[in-house]
Parts: sequence; structure tokens; C-alpha cells
Amino acid sequence: MSSHREAPEISQDPVADSTDLYAFVSPDRPRTVTLIGNYVPLQEPAGGPNFYEFGDDVLYEIHIDTEGRSEPNITYQFRFTTELDDRNTFLYNTAPITSLSSPAWNRKQFYSVTRVENGRSRRLARKLACPPCNIGPLSTPDYATKLARPAVHTLDGGTRVFAGQRAEGFYVDLGSIFDLADLRPFQNYQVFAKAHGFKAAPGVNATKYLNVHSIALQVPISEITARRRPVIGVWTTASRQRARILNDDTGEWHCSGPWAQISRLGNPLFNEVLVPISRKDYWNHQPPAHDKQFARDVARPELAGLLPVLYPGVFPNLAKLDARKTARADLEAILLTGIPKGIIKGFTNYTGPVQSDLLRLNTAIAPAKKPSIFGLLGGDAAGFPNGRRVFDDVVSIELRAIAGVTYKLIDPKYTVDAAAKILTDGLTPADLGTPYLTRFPYLGVPYDGYHHPS
Amino acid sequence: MADLMDATEAARAGITSRRAVLRGAAAAGAAGVAAAALAGAAFPAAAGASTAKSPGQDRAADHDEPTEPAETIVLHVRDAAAGEIDVFRGTTVTRLHDPALARQIIRAAG
Repeated sequence: MSSHREAPEISQDPVADSTDLYAFVSPDRPRTVTLIGNYVPLQEPAGGPNFYEFGDDVLYEIHIDTEGRSEPNITYQFRFTTELDDRNTFLYNTAPITSLSSPAWNRKQFYSVTRVENGRSRRLARKLACPPCNIGPLSTPDYATKLARPAVHTLDGGTRVFAGQRAEGFYVDLGSIFDLADLRPFQNYQVFAKAHGFKAAPGVNATKYLNVHSIALQVPISEITARRRPVIGVWTTASRQRARILNDDTGEWHCSGPWAQISRLGNPLFNEVLVPISRKDYWNHQPPAHDKQFARDVARPELAGLLPVLYPGVFPNLAKLDARKTARADLEAILLTGIPKGIIKGFTNYTGPVQSDLLRLNTAIAPAKKPSIFGLLGGDAAGFPNGRRVFDDVVSIELRAIAGVTYKLIDPKYTVDAAAKILTDGLTPADLGTPYLTRFPYLGVPYDGYHHPS
Repeated sequence: MADLMDATEAARAGITSRRAVLRGAAAAGAAGVAAAALAGAAFPAAAGASTAKSPGQDRAADHDEPTEPAETIVLHVRDAAAGEIDVFRGTTVTRLHDPALARQIIRAAG
């Protein structure tokens, strides 16, 4: 998946597991940028009696590099606190939850937002309410209007913030892809699927009807860009304190010591698909500025070598490229530095020579009137890899890029394999169980546990 | 916590940092790792102490919520031979260089 359970260690710690990161110029407020970091993956909506929440003992951060050094010039920090109103009931709620202050809602979560700019901290807000999880029509009636919408808070300066449950917006045929890189629409060519007699088939969205927890910010562009530098680099991290002791009298954990990063995310699928499993945990502990050590994994991606083997005869030109041990400068530019000026007419999201996995967004590019889910590959410069919108088909974009489509940017004489241009896991936003929103926080209303699974 | 020193108890007794550490360690019964809940113990005053922050610590240092109801201090005997002991408290870690203390903790831990 994009980064759901992508490394052995973080797969054991869902509340700190960053799953997706989005950064885009807000289509309905184009003077702002929306940043969304998702956590707590693969939530079954019927999650009672203890519904999903953020970790009170986790430091969540969204970092922004405004000067091209792959260091955080601006960081937004989020800390959560859970409050239990009635200690004598086993219930999350004892009656319908009709507002964020409902006394029937027993276990509430609140959070603070701090902005750190060049080392100086400023608390923007404290005790902001999260919405409850979407339990069902009896417990959380009018969820979208009475509970989710009031949980969008406006801060001084026009910044909006939301933290709480959302419908998973990332679509992927997980079951097929991790079954030996089988892509159902092409599985009649896949060596093992062919042996089983599998026919080409539509994709199956493994995340349909699952929820996630989102931290979403909508910030004026002027507040997160340096003067005359419209390109920003964004990444998210989760950290825990280094020491943790279990109080065996109470069953509670006590934490102390400095914060240590245990999860991070810039570009989708970076750690998941490019970094070897032996180094994924290590990658999660590293700052982006140290990513040169992973550059070889980008320049010689394992998947590029596997595609011609798993799909014999389908990727002959990619096979030749692999055989020549060609460094994939196209992927290095897309994922590690941004695309410099002059490569794609009228477009750049280059941040500088420091190789780092950042989601790079040129904030000077206006939202597309007719967006393409294939982003830049689909001729839409407002989409991935220029930042990432909630609906961008990052799986297909990255599959096509790895299969050689973007290598033509480096070598105009390279002939892209016909299959590479149409490679996909067979999914689109139509395969979601609920639509995206047209306004902040853009990800859909979470699925309720009464109707899902149906 | 039955087997850890109570913060009030430690403060009332005016226990020195070393004694407090040892008592907590002995009670914890852990080999290599000792834990104690204390208030106001002056660990950096011990031999060869230096406080360090991890990368990103400066950004998070001002973050004062949510706070622990009772402050937890955790000791990690990182290298017994070299006398390296890490003391985790709040959002900092202090590195002690005290071979004698390290040896005593190891002995106390059994």
C-alpha cells in the first residue's frame, strides 16, 4: 500500500504508522495548501467497544522544507489527549452522540497544534475536539453535519485544521499486487497467473469500506513558502519517547526521554516498494536529508527488474534498460530532488541537489479545472508527483514510471514499452465505497460500523 | 507501583541521586536496565554527566502537553564496563559516566 504497515517494526504500532501523505493547492481555496497525514491504517468500521483513536503518547508532525535543504523550516506538531467522562461504564457512548460536547459520548479525544518555525515554537491552539468514530445510525446520527463538520476548526490567520476518522481514500489492489506482483488487468500475461489459467480481470480495491485517521491542515500559501520560492517539500513523521515502562499495578505505560522518530512518509510507496525489507525500519528512523544512502534503491529499483521476468515478453525495452544496469535518473529526479526546469515544458518542482524523499509541491501551479488521476503523466501538472491529491492514482503512476515511461524524459531515443503506458492495477476513484468531499478535509465521511461490513 | 520508589517518598527522605538510583534499581530487579520514579533528583550532578537531545528534540522541547501524572525516570545501563548510564527524564536523556554506580546497579539487579 502507499505506506500502510510498510515496515516490520511500524506494522506492530498502528497509531504511529503514517499511511498516506497528501499536499495540494486547495481547489476551492486556491490561496491555500492542504496537507493531510493519515495514520492508524485498515480500520474495520465495526471496531467496538474500543474505537480507533490517535496515540496520546505519540508526537505527530508535518514538516515543510521551504528552502531546498531537505530540513524542516516549518513544522506543525500535534499532541493528543484522551478524556474519559464516566469510568463506570464499558461503553464508548451511552446514548446518541448529537454534538462534540455530548455528555453521552464517554471517551473523547482532544489535541493541540504547535507551529515550529526555524526552531521557535508557537502554540496555535489547544484542546481542539476530534470527532467520534462513526459508529452507526443510532450512536452517531447526522455524522457528517453534526459531528464531522464542527470538528473542522479555524485558527488565527485562516488556517483550518481537522483531526479524526475519515474514509480511506487510497485505492489499491493489495491482494493482487503482493501476490507476486500480479496486476489483474494484465494477469493473462503474468507468468504464474498464466500457469493457473487466470484471465484478465478488473482490480479489487482492498481498502474499500475501511477507515483511517487523518490530520489535515489548510494553510495560506504565504505562511508555508519562502519568498520567491514557490516549491515546498513536505513529509510527515511520528515519534515516541525513547523509554517506556509498564506500571504493573495499573497496566499503564509511562514514557520519558527524547522523542525518537519511528515513522515517516514523503512520496507514496517509497519505503514500501523501493527500500529492501532489511532496511525499512532503519529508513523510518532517518531524516530525509540522509536519503542519499537510499539513492541506489531508487536508481535501480528491484521492481523494474522483476516486471520483465514476471511478464515475459511484455517489457522488452525495460529488460534491455535493466540489463545495461542503467541508473534511473528519471526516478531519482521524481522522488529525490524534484524535476528541474527544462525537462517538462513549463513545469518544475525541483527543490535542490540534496537527495531526499519529500513530497514536492509547486504552489504556483493552480488547481486543474479538469484533473487527471494520472497527474503529471496525464498532462495535469497540479497532480502527483507535483504534490499529491486525494484522488491521484499513485499506484498506476509509479508502476508506469518504474516500467520506463518517464525514462524518455532522460533519453528521448528510448522506446517505451506499449504495456508500460497503460500499466495499472485496474482501479479508479469509482472503486471507493464513498466519494471524496469537494471541500476540506476532502477525504470522505468514514464508513459506519452498522452498515460495514454489510 | 509497589516495586518502584514513590516520588513523594524520595523527596521526603532527601535521598541523594545515587542512593535513589540504587534503591530504584534494586527494587526493579532488572539486569542492565533500572527504573525509578523520582522527583527533583539531581542526576546531572553525578560524575561525568552530560545531557543530550535527539534530532528534532529542539522542535519538540517546548511541547508541554500532555504531561505525565507522575514523572517517570528511567535508567539504562548502556555500557556497564565504561560506566555509561542513560537517564531518561521528561523529554531529555542524560548520559552519566560513572563506572562505580554502574557496577552497583548491576550488583543490585542480581
